Amino acid sequence: MNNIKKHIETIAGVIKSTKENLKPLSINFIFWGIFVNALSIFHYSFPSLVQSTKYSAILYWIISSITGLIFMVYYNIKTRKNIGYETHLSRVIKIIWIVFSVSWIYVIILSFFLENFNPVPSILFFLSLILIMTGLIIKFNPIIFGGIFLLLFTFYLNLNPGINLLLVNIVGVSLGMLLPGLSLFYSKSTNNSDR
Amino acid sequence: MIDKLLFNPIRLKIISSLINNSNCDFNFLKEVTDSTQGNLSIQLKKLKQENYIEIEKTFCNNYPKTSCRVTDKGKIKFEEFFNYLIKMKNE
Repeated sequence: MNNIKKHIETIAGVIKSTKENLKPLSINFIFWGIFVNALSIFHYSFPSLVQSTKYSAILYWIISSITGLIFMVYYNIKTRKNIGYETHLSRVIKIIWIVFSVSWIYVIILSFFLENFNPVPSILFFLSLILIMTGLIIKFNPIIFGGIFLLLFTFYLNLNPGINLLLVNIVGVSLGMLLPGLSLFYSKSTNNSDR
Repeated sequence: MIDKLLFNPIRLKIISSLINNSNCDFNFLKEVTDSTQGNLSIQLKKLKQENYIEIEKTFCNNYPKTSCRVTDKGKIKFEEFFNYLIKMKNE
């Protein structure tokens, strides 16, 4: 009987020892929030420089975004190695963000072939859905609200296509990613397995 | 009938870690099981021989890296073992 109790305690102890650390996820949100805002502000401030040729603006966004993506993938791999394990939760989050990256690439490629197709509303729409999913999975309300705000904002954007898309980016990404990311970073329970 | 393979505390800790996570590195398992490198290698080998776990060996910065994950058989065996423990505790 003692052995049985001991074995149950062993299992419980091991399960308790592997906690989901959400700090790296918050770093991802903060990075993309700041990075996209910086790109948008630069584009907004120097439009003649960024839009000097037909494809320069697209290249500016693609090259910058891919550079950011490589940097964050490297950061995430390094963090995962340091932790030494991958929880089921972080695997699910990783998969849905890979799906978002694939959607982003799909929309960008489509924008090359379709005339008068602006990829920003579609990207923000996908982003809002992924944010809501992430928030629901980790049970963190600021990310859910950020995603809902972005979803409503994208809806408004489609009804008012004349609105400046760079300002849309700044407002959308700040409220959808940067603020929820900061909120998650400073949250006391970023190391909580019960999430 | 109790699963003798999982009755060993180190092997039980390994399987419990792998059930709780998608995959675990060798160093993490060493820390969780509180065992030596040699002992852990032996226990991992036994679990692998019975097809309870999968072991992937790669190289990272010229250093060997071992990563483990539980198989479907391992999950079933762990569930059976856990149900057995609960049943015995309640009796």
